[in-house]
Amino acid sequence: MEDAEMIHLWKAYDKRLEEYLSFNRQNAADITHMKVQSALASMTPLKIFAVMAGIIWVILVDSILIHTFRSASFFFLASAGIQVLLTKLAIGIYLYQLILIQRVNINAPILETQEKLCQLRSSTLWCARLLFLQLPLWTTFYWNQSMLYNGNVWLYLLQAVVTGAFTWAAIWLFVNIRYENRDKKWFRLIFSGKEWNPVIRAMELLQQVTAYR
Amino acid sequence: MNSPDKSDNFLAVIQAHKGILYKIAHAYCKDTEDRKDLVQEIIVQLWKSFDKYSPTYKYSTWIYRIALNVAISFYRRESRRKSVDSPLSDSALNMTDHSLPHDTTENIVFLQQFISELKELDKALMLLYLEEKSYQEIADIIGISVSNVSTKISRIKAALKQKFTHLKT
Repeated sequence: MEDAEMIHLWKAYDKRLEEYLSFNRQNAADITHMKVQSALASMTPLKIFAVMAGIIWVILVDSILIHTFRSASFFFLASAGIQVLLTKLAIGIYLYQLILIQRVNINAPILETQEKLCQLRSSTLWCARLLFLQLPLWTTFYWNQSMLYNGNVWLYLLQAVVTGAFTWAAIWLFVNIRYENRDKKWFRLIFSGKEWNPVIRAMELLQQVTAYR
Repeated sequence: MNSPDKSDNFLAVIQAHKGILYKIAHAYCKDTEDRKDLVQEIIVQLWKSFDKYSPTYKYSTWIYRIALNVAISFYRRESRRKSVDSPLSDSALNMTDHSLPHDTTENIVFLQQFISELKELDKALMLLYLEEKSYQEIADIIGISVSNVSTKISRIKAALKQKFTHLKT
């Protein structure tokens, strides 16, 4: 099929639309009167809530760390310290997303808008990576000197296996949660579900956007 | 501009360009209900952006930018819009006769099918090409250079032609 033929076909389609496509003016007028939020704007309150909750958590944990610095065990201080640091990074990602939401302009050229939307959605994957990185900290914070000096070999062994497995899993997931692994079984298992599909598709589109540049 | 005037002006612009909305919805959504939702979403976004319209561009360029941006983002939504206060039962656009001219019916259906199978950005590019937009205008809407538009369109056309050739053999 030649170019001219393709254009001719499209024009025939266009002519048909011109003749038979009706515009429901009342319906369109009703749409303009509806109080609707864009999908993006509707994300903002939840992200602001997450940032506020995160800040409260950080203040709380930081206060506990400061007040118990001399009395608490080294394990608790280190575990809580790293956990709160990772939470601060997650808050940083949410703030970055809030900035991106403000910067998305639906009037802008397609590549510019889609790139920002894709960055916004795919940055959610970073939050998941940070969340998994916290895993081993939940197996160490309760340890203290008494357990260290008075424990038996089985306790040490069990703790080493559990903490070691969680650390290995956390690092492995942090390194491997990437778009390139989207087709792997374990990835699909973790990121199955409605809330993750837009994130994965956004990353696919981001690749298209990059190829168009 | 007072509100009724603004609304009338907006509706006149949409009415004049209703074909664009229909073709984009048709290219990006297979499901009829999704198409209705997409048209509604595009009209909402156009209305919200109407104050920002710059006469530097033609209305069609402005509509294409917003409609394509919405259509490309739309398919990634988790579910249909739930935030609409009073969802509308009818669509803003209706085809009174779905039949196509007999001499071209089959080929139009195949062309539509091949376009719907393209990747999101290629689809946008091809729609604009078939609308006979200039390469400069396509470059403005998509946000790439004119030479890039030319290269990509040649590649997509070649792929479409190949599909038509396969049909005949």
